[in-house]
Amino acid sequence: MNKPYTLDELLIITCAKEIKDYQNVILGVGLPTTAGALAKALFAPHATLMMESGIIDFEPLVPLNHIADAHCCRGFSYATDLFSAFTMTYRGFIDICFLGVGQVDRYGNLNTTCAGDYFKPTLRLPGSGGAADFISYAKRTVLTMRGGEFVEKLDYLTSPGYLEGGESREKSGLFPPGTGPSMLLTTKGVFRFDDETKEMYLAQVHPGVTPEDIKKEVPWDLKVASDLTVTERPTDEEIDFMREFAPIMTLGRETATELTIGNVLKNMEIRLKKKNASTGT
Amino acid sequence: MAGADDNKVMTAKEAISRFVNDGDELIIGNYTVGTCCELVFEICRQGKKGFTLYSQSGILDVDVLVNAGLVERLVSTYVLRSGGKKGGGAVERALQAGTLEMEDYTNFNYNARLVAGMHGFSFMQVFEGIMATDLFKIRGFMGQDKYRVIECPYTGKQIVTVPAANPDVCIIHVQRADSFGNAQYWGSMGSVAAAALCSKKIIVSCEEIVEHDVIQSSPHLTIIPAFRVNAVVESPWGAHPTEVLGYYNMDRFFYGMFTMANVSADGAKAWMEEWIYGCENHEAYLERYVNKFGMEMLDKIRAKPFYSAPANYGSAFTSSWDEQGRERSMGITREEMENLMKERGMLYE
Repeated sequence: MNKPYTLDELLIITCAKEIKDYQNVILGVGLPTTAGALAKALFAPHATLMMESGIIDFEPLVPLNHIADAHCCRGFSYATDLFSAFTMTYRGFIDICFLGVGQVDRYGNLNTTCAGDYFKPTLRLPGSGGAADFISYAKRTVLTMRGGEFVEKLDYLTSPGYLEGGESREKSGLFPPGTGPSMLLTTKGVFRFDDETKEMYLAQVHPGVTPEDIKKEVPWDLKVASDLTVTERPTDEEIDFMREFAPIMTLGRETATELTIGNVLKNMEIRLKKKNASTGT
Repeated sequence: MAGADDNKVMTAKEAISRFVNDGDELIIGNYTVGTCCELVFEICRQGKKGFTLYSQSGILDVDVLVNAGLVERLVSTYVLRSGGKKGGGAVERALQAGTLEMEDYTNFNYNARLVAGMHGFSFMQVFEGIMATDLFKIRGFMGQDKYRVIECPYTGKQIVTVPAANPDVCIIHVQRADSFGNAQYWGSMGSVAAAALCSKKIIVSCEEIVEHDVIQSSPHLTIIPAFRVNAVVESPWGAHPTEVLGYYNMDRFFYGMFTMANVSADGAKAWMEEWIYGCENHEAYLERYVNKFGMEMLDKIRAKPFYSAPANYGSAFTSSWDEQGRERSMGITREEMENLMKERGMLYE
C-alpha cells in the first residue's frame, strides 16, 4: 500500500500528469510550478519549462516564489522578455499552460479581477496578469481552483473560455481552433469540457468525494461523466519527490507561514538571551 | 565616455527630490522581482503625490504608494491581495473608498504600451482575443483610448491596439551600473528594459557602482545606456525585502510581515511608520532591521556566486598598423602613405 498523502500532494500530481514529454509548458505560481518540477523530474524529462517573465527552459531546484523567480534554479537556457514570451504564445509555440481561478462559469470563462462591481469591488482580486493572453493562445489550458467558486454568471470576464458554449469560441474568429480550457482541477475533483456543447462536466472525483458533494457547490445542473473515475493517489516516489523538493507546498502555505514566523520569533528570543548573557544583564 | 562630466551619482533623497514631481506619470521599472524599494520608500518620505502610477505587477511597491495616499490613478495587470479572501490590500481599500481610479490590462497589453513608447510608435498591436473580455469592454479613466480597433492595411482583419505609454519618470533597481548610468540587469527580464526606455527620465538604483570597463566587457548585460539616465543611486540591499539575482533572495519572513500588516489600513500604516517614515534613509532602515532581527537573517539570504561564463569580446587586432608599422591590408607604412598622398596631389595646404 502507498504512503498516506496530503490533499496538496494529490492536486500537484494530478496537475503534473497533464504535462507530456517534449511539451513547452508555461507555469503559473503555486501548485503548477511544483507540478512542472515533478513532471520534469519523473516523467517528462524533455519538457521545456517556461515563465512569462522570460525565463525559458529552467530546472527548478526549490519552489518558486512567483513567476519571475530566477532564484529557484541555477541559471537557465534563454533569457527573453515578457513581450516575447507572449508573442511566442500567440504564434502557437506553447503546448500547455496553467491558470488559477477566482470565479468560473459552466463554459470555463474566468474571473480573477473582482467580486461585485468592477469600479467599487467588494473584493479586488489580483487581475489578469498573463491569464487572458495565455488561455487565448496556448494549445491547452489547465485551470486550478482552490479558494474560488462556480457561478452562473461572472462578475467580470477576465479570461475567455468557451464564451457562450458550442461553437461560439471558434466562430468568434479571435482564437486559434482547438484552444481553450481543457480541464479544471479543484480540491474535490476534475472537470472536463464536452466536445460539442463545451459545457464542463465532472470527469473524476478525488478519493472519498461523491458527485453529490461537488454538485452542492455548482449552481447549475452539473453533468457527470458516465465513466466517472476516481483520481489516482500519488505513488511513494511522487510523494517523496514532493516532500523533498517543496515541503512548503506539501504542507500548504498557511501552515508554512505560521511555522516560519514562529521559527523567526524563536530565533529572536535565543539571540536576545545570548546578548543579555554577554552583557551580563 | 560621453557625458562623463555629468555627476549623476547621488543619494536617493537627492534623486527623488530632483527628478520626481507631483502629478507625474511614474513607472516602476521592476517586474515582481528586485523592486526598487529604496526609491519607492523615499518617495513616500518626501510625500510627492498625485501620481498616475504604472506597475506591470503591483506588489509591495504599489501597495505602499497607494497606502500613503500618493496615487490617484493606477495602470496595472495584477494587484497584491494579502491573505486570500479574508485579506485585502491598499488597492482594494482605495477603490472601495473611491480615492483611486484603476485601469486593468493583461500582462501583454500593458507591456505592449511600453514597447510602443520605447520605440517612439504611437500604438502597438495586441492579440485580438482580448475583445471577448471585460478588460476590453469595461473602460476606466482612459475611456476609448484604452483599446482601439483598426483595420489591418495588409490583411483587412480587425486588429486591436493599445496606445504608447511615455511616463515622466521611471524608478528602477538593477544589479550594477557605472557612474555614468550604464545600467546592467540580468535574470528575469520581464518588461524591465521597456519600462525604463519608454520613460522621459530614469532614476537607476543599483546594488553596486562598478568601473566603466566592467560594463564595456559585458555590454550584453546593459539594459539602459548612460545617455538616457538622470541619476545613479548606489543602494546595497536596495530591493529588500524583494530579491536581486546574484545578491540576495527574497526575505520571505519580512515580506510576509508586510503582507500580513497590509490586510488592514491601520496595520499597513503602522508598518510604514516603523519601516519607512521612521527611518531617515535606507541605511537607517537596514540598521533597524539588523538591530531587530539580527545580521544572520540577512546572511541567510545572501546569494552564493554562480558566475555566468564570460563571453569573449576579443578580436584579432586593435590597431590598423601591424607590429612592423605597416597597414594591415595595404602593406604600407604611415610614411609611405603620406608620401603617396603628396605625390598624388591629395593634400591641401
